[in-house]
Amino acid sequence: MPQSPIVNLKSVSLTLKSDAGPVNILRGIDMSINAGETVGIVGPSGSGKSTLMSIMAGLERPSGGQVSVAGNSLETLSEDDLARFRRDNVGIVFQSFHLIPTMTALENVAIPLELSGRADAFAVAAEKLKSVGLGERSSHYPSQLSGGEQQRVALARAVCTEPKILLADEPTGNLDGATGELIIDLMFQLHDAHDTTLVLITHDDELARKCDRVIRVEDGRVTELDRQDAPELEGHEL
Amino acid sequence: MSSQAGSETFSLAVKYAFRELRGGLKGFRIFVACLVLGVAAIAGVGTLSSSISEGLRANGRVILGGDVDVRLTSRFASADEQHWLRSKGQVSEIQVLRAMVGAPASDQRLLSELKAVDSLYPLFGSLEQSSSQNPDTSFQALLANDKGDFGALVEPTLLDRLEVKIGDSLKIGGLRLEIRGVISSEPDKASQGMSLGPRVIISSSALQATGLVQPGSLLRYHYRLALNTQTTIADFREDAKLSMPDAGWRITDSSNGAPGIKRFVERVAMFLTLVGLTALIVGGVGVGNAVHAYLDGKISTIATMKCLGASSGLIFRIHYLQVLVLAFLGSIAGLILGVGLAIIASQFLASALPVPAIVTFQAGPLVLATAYGLLTATLFAIWPLARARETPAASLFRDVVAKRRWPRPFYLALVLVTFAALVALAILTVEEKVFAAGFVVAAIAIFFVLLLMGYLIQLGAKYAPKFRIPALRLAIANLHRPGAATASVVLSMGLGLTLFVTVALIEGNLREQVQDQLPENAPAFFFIDIQNNQLPDFVGTAQKIEGVSDVNHVPNLRGRIVKVNGIPAAQVNVASDVKWVLRGDRGLTYAKEIPVNATVVEGKWWPEDYQGAPLISLDQGAAVGMGIGIGDTLTVNVMGREVTATIANLREIDWSTLAINFVMVFDENTLAGAPHSHLATAKAGTDAEVRLFRTITKAFPNISVIRMKEALQTVSKILEQLSSAVTATASITLVAGVLVLAGAFAAGHRKRVYDAVILKVLGATRRDIFKTFLLEYAILGLITSLIAAGAGWLAAHTVITEILEAKWINLPYTVLGTIVISVCVTLLFGLLGSWRALGEKVAPVLRSD
Repeated sequence: MPQSPIVNLKSVSLTLKSDAGPVNILRGIDMSINAGETVGIVGPSGSGKSTLMSIMAGLERPSGGQVSVAGNSLETLSEDDLARFRRDNVGIVFQSFHLIPTMTALENVAIPLELSGRADAFAVAAEKLKSVGLGERSSHYPSQLSGGEQQRVALARAVCTEPKILLADEPTGNLDGATGELIIDLMFQLHDAHDTTLVLITHDDELARKCDRVIRVEDGRVTELDRQDAPELEGHEL
Repeated sequence: MSSQAGSETFSLAVKYAFRELRGGLKGFRIFVACLVLGVAAIAGVGTLSSSISEGLRANGRVILGGDVDVRLTSRFASADEQHWLRSKGQVSEIQVLRAMVGAPASDQRLLSELKAVDSLYPLFGSLEQSSSQNPDTSFQALLANDKGDFGALVEPTLLDRLEVKIGDSLKIGGLRLEIRGVISSEPDKASQGMSLGPRVIISSSALQATGLVQPGSLLRYHYRLALNTQTTIADFREDAKLSMPDAGWRITDSSNGAPGIKRFVERVAMFLTLVGLTALIVGGVGVGNAVHAYLDGKISTIATMKCLGASSGLIFRIHYLQVLVLAFLGSIAGLILGVGLAIIASQFLASALPVPAIVTFQAGPLVLATAYGLLTATLFAIWPLARARETPAASLFRDVVAKRRWPRPFYLALVLVTFAALVALAILTVEEKVFAAGFVVAAIAIFFVLLLMGYLIQLGAKYAPKFRIPALRLAIANLHRPGAATASVVLSMGLGLTLFVTVALIEGNLREQVQDQLPENAPAFFFIDIQNNQLPDFVGTAQKIEGVSDVNHVPNLRGRIVKVNGIPAAQVNVASDVKWVLRGDRGLTYAKEIPVNATVVEGKWWPEDYQGAPLISLDQGAAVGMGIGIGDTLTVNVMGREVTATIANLREIDWSTLAINFVMVFDENTLAGAPHSHLATAKAGTDAEVRLFRTITKAFPNISVIRMKEALQTVSKILEQLSSAVTATASITLVAGVLVLAGAFAAGHRKRVYDAVILKVLGATRRDIFKTFLLEYAILGLITSLIAAGAGWLAAHTVITEILEAKWINLPYTVLGTIVISVCVTLLFGLLGSWRALGEKVAPVLRSD
């Protein structure tokens, strides 16, 4: 049975205004990602990787084209509908963690569960923290945690609702090699356990090769690469 | 460190401080605004009151009507006394009494403040009047007997109330007079005390013809002197003691022409200054917050400087200097605003004051206000400054939740010294030190209670059960987050609201008691100057009127305590709340039996047929205040005769019934022979009131009738004006509280935006976030106002029941109103500060992070 795409982008473009004139960030992107797939997105700085992820998460609205994620046409949803869409479907891990500094680790993880109206929000959050090895640090504030610990909290927060899609934007970018590896292992373990679709934005070629597919973004356009040769090999337009 | 090195470090600190100040006042707006407000309140009140006092002093001779005023009650000066007075300078005689004035044309009567003057009046200043006659005609000529009628000058209100005009007739006692002019300005009015009716001026000869001058009449004789050039006021006072030791007169001099007004102005100013200081302390919380926030923003600068070798001391000095410069600028702006407000307020007070309220430069209050401003800024800034100084550069980056370090002992001592200086300044610069100390202690107590409550709320929020409604849980959790505004809001709004509730409840209670809660058994009228031979007729006439009951009467004399246990009254130390007992003439009476609304609490009442040495029954409160009791003696000058009586018993008097009572009651044997009149009261229903007034004033023209409701209205009006001033000043405290609240919320704005964005990323809708903010601010406002309402209620209850010893009236709407206002203000400013956070787009914020 052919797998159905969970992410489907058609002719997606994004142009931002700037003092120096309009800047084309994305230029007519067409791509799709199947449910349960792991996809690595690579490309140089400023190529539009993070913007592409923002559009998939409904954090950014495209200037043109159609975005369908988990059966939702994002371009038609209001800001609040987009928030609900993320709550129900998407988990995001950022390079700079984006934890709320005045909330403890446990409280940070519990937020999406609470927003979903889960009565067991704190119990589940505690369980998730434990699963990322931070069961003992639940009452600590982000500034009392190391970078790796903060990213593990962010990861626990992203997956606690068992989202259909996990988007990770340079999750190891602010971490040392060993800690980064630990985070990546955790992400893939979670993917394996829940069959989550994983979209990984990274500079790390080795990391990208761990994914089922590798997509290169350059100058606002995407190219799919052969997984084994990525990122050296030239790909073809999707 | 050598002194040279020390001065170098100081000059370096100055250089860096000013370099950093080049960045502008951004972040210090609330800091400066809080200081401006508090300093303005104190400077404004101080400037205005000092200007009034200065005006009273500069116009002392005009206000008093002479260099010296010698006052006798119910008797004129003897020939010897008059001879002695005339040897000291030019003497003008006036007589003052309350008397009924009738208008034959309209058949109306009313109580007036009657003043009979001689041909020398006024010795200083001028009386201005308008009449239908030649403007050059002197007012003395207008008062003279012209074709059988004496003339009278009246205040304009009398014309309205009696429905008469210039040229019409008036009847005072048994004399018919013609209204010949309207008084537009009376130079010595301020020295006359509280007025219960419009002023009527007649000549001394006319007064004699009215028949009102009877033995024991409540009439005051004033002898005003323009002293000879060789006689000083001090000489006069000294010579009076030596030459006329037994005169029993009261001497007032032009250095304090209107002592009552001066005392009133000084007391009001003291209270308002303390309220202003509270505003400054509330603002101090904002100062502390601003300094804290400023230093948070300077963390990397401080860290860099420390890395480059700056000492902790230098860091402290650089930033403290900045605080001082800003505090000084804020204080200067406050002084300018304060003087401006004083000028505006003086325009409103112009009609109520006896002297032109010309605001002049008063250095004292301005220096005091500046000192308050700088000390407050220092008090609240030292803590965050000292903590920043102590924090290692490396840990500055984790300040939000980093473990709070205590400042070094030196800085803690500095906080205590500054605090002590502020308290000392508040207490030592005023006359009523006990009151000021009480106020300061209460304010400090409330400050710490609020501080504690803020802490407890945060603790409660931290350990509160995790509610299933996410908005509620997040709202409660927001109350205890690191850097939450909870403590600041509870403290600043709480202190302002507590003061506001206290003032509103005290004012409301007094107003209700004076105006609306007239005791059911209170008399409708007081009748004064009833002569001995009129008494049976008066009582018979009053009792015959339908609806009139409880016609009570007592002998009424005036006397002044001149010695306590043989020591001159002036040398006796008494509590400030009973000073009035010794201050001048007091009403007194004699009785066989215990007065109805009093109980003997110590000693025994004398037998009905007592014939022994003079005995006196004294009010218990007065006795306690004077530190005397049973067996002690009081020497009272009654009508020029000194009577030394032994205190036989102490009475507890229920003044709240408004029935007749006296601080001093003599045994009958001692005073029955002295010339005196009677005082009576009567109760009457609304209809009977009119009949009683008309009948008595018609049948007994010499008897003055004071309608209780009108007298209370006069008191109520004074109270209202006073309460407006207090409320206005207390409002400044509230405004300061709102400023601090707005500042605290504004400081958290960036954090709010960030939180809102992350919550949106995680799936929260704007409605979810709005609900969270709404609940958080509502909970904060509600808790703060409940604490303030409770503390304010307690403070007001203590003042009313313990200090004023009055009945407490619950005013739930005042408290409820405060709670509603508090919640609304907190919601308004909280949501104003968070509104933008709701609409913030996610991507730009994340992109810029």
